[in-house]
Amino acid sequence: MAPETTRTVAVLGFGTMGAGIAQLVAQAGHRTLVLETDAQRIEHGLDHIRDFTATGVERGKLTPQEREALLGRIEGVTDVAALAGAELVVEAVVERLELKQELLARVADVVGEQAIVATNTSALSVSAIAAAVPRPQRCAGLHFFHPAQLMKLVEVVAAEQSDERTLDALEAFAQTLGKQVVRVKDRPGFLVNRLLMPYLNQVIQAYDDGLASAHDIDAALELGLGYPIGGLRLLDTIGLDTHLNATTAAYRDTFEAPFAPPPLLQRLVSAGHLGNKSGKGLRVGKEEQA
Amino acid sequence: MGVGICITLACAGHPVVFQDVDADRVARGLEQVRAFLDKSVERGKLDAQARDRALAGIEPATDIGAFADCDVVCEAIYEDLGAKQRLLGALDDVVREDALLHTNTSTLSVTEIAAGSRLPQRVVGTHYCNPAPLMKLVEVVRGQRTGDDAHARTLAFVEGLGKVGVRCGDTPGFIVNYFLVPFENDCIRALEAGLGTVESIDRAIGFGLGYPMGTFRLLDIVGLDIHKAVSTSLYEQLRDPRFAAPPLVDRMIAAGQLGRKAGEGFYRYEGSGLHGT
Repeated sequence: MAPETTRTVAVLGFGTMGAGIAQLVAQAGHRTLVLETDAQRIEHGLDHIRDFTATGVERGKLTPQEREALLGRIEGVTDVAALAGAELVVEAVVERLELKQELLARVADVVGEQAIVATNTSALSVSAIAAAVPRPQRCAGLHFFHPAQLMKLVEVVAAEQSDERTLDALEAFAQTLGKQVVRVKDRPGFLVNRLLMPYLNQVIQAYDDGLASAHDIDAALELGLGYPIGGLRLLDTIGLDTHLNATTAAYRDTFEAPFAPPPLLQRLVSAGHLGNKSGKGLRVGKEEQA
Repeated sequence: MGVGICITLACAGHPVVFQDVDADRVARGLEQVRAFLDKSVERGKLDAQARDRALAGIEPATDIGAFADCDVVCEAIYEDLGAKQRLLGALDDVVREDALLHTNTSTLSVTEIAAGSRLPQRVVGTHYCNPAPLMKLVEVVRGQRTGDDAHARTLAFVEGLGKVGVRCGDTPGFIVNYFLVPFENDCIRALEAGLGTVESIDRAIGFGLGYPMGTFRLLDIVGLDIHKAVSTSLYEQLRDPRFAAPPLVDRMIAAGQLGRKAGEGFYRYEGSGLHGT
């Protein structure tokens, strides 16, 4: 599988992650089929890519011609049958195991036995998802980080069933998208989120305990450790509900205290303070002293 | 650390009395100050006049009596509670009552250090980050008896150095090490658990989290022995298992794999100490 080969890639789901992945795949020159449930969602996903790439043109990241070509390689479909011929499937639908399993079983039927089936899950077990796919050795995780277009890292997650050929192929594919790849095990949080979640929970708890002001905690992390963004601002960016879901899942899977969601996180989510997307969170929407 | 703080103060335009226990140490320290400033001039970060002004403003001393007229004394001796307490007690006899005493500690309690002074209300923790002349952050730590006035004056002093001072209480690890040390230990545990290699975990941290340096690179620079000492001190104060250094750290220390200074840690270094494997 030479990296330069133009292939047909199916992306399942045209939400934020699906759109980011579809854009990357199309940008790398592959024909990109994106499956969604209805035309409206497809239009919404396409709009996301149109906006993102329009900004890219403004900033000189790509030419208007490259943008047109990229958009021309993306085709939204609502019928699973339209995915026939895809050599690689990247699933990015909502984080519900049964839904992913049911969808991948149907897609696997259509794309044929040789196609590689990857899931972009971050909270579920890749092995459990793979269990629903005939010939599960061609299944593995391909975990992009948000925003997928910009974040340099991709985790290639080995399910218990994955074979080496599948992992090699996914690693080579991610490299054609310009990504740095790390191979990781199918454990809660894989590698990056496993390291990130306990730290974020500690930041929330320390803030709730009055260790320092929100501003000073973030300033210490940014200026003292050189982190690109302080933990509290990062949580607002990720979305407090998203972090709550992820860390609750990791806690349920491991019963390890560092993954346990701190009470303040649960209270904020209950109150609808979800971070940037709701305009209120740990830092956003608060008056604070610099 | 004393050298870095001396450079920071001198470059901010303060006359500095630079004291150490004997003439040799003072000379060595001043040599490091000069070397740093020369390099800054070479790199175009500082002009030659500013360097000369900074150097001219530094007065070497081997006796703390030379601090008599100082408005602020920054203590940056080794991390030993008794030694720091005795030093503050001795300073009480030398400096004016309104002089501030700043203690630069990373793992000791500012409250305990301040107990060495008869005027603990004027003792404030100022935790500079290494290398002090380059890092913008200073944690301004309020001990149990630190006075409002000393605290406010210290924040203003730190800002006057061009730094950002963050306010924190006298809790173990303050802010930076409270978050850094358990994260480092989590990375070591992930390595022990086979979740990645030294290289892949560092790459994941660099490209996935955007941190300026992978944890294992950082630990090699810090030194495994220092990391163990800091972890143990914080663990003994907090009793939170994330702060306990994992067994791999003990094995590496026993094997002499202390990091860059030993030529080997999580990575191997040859000659210049800059080439990992």
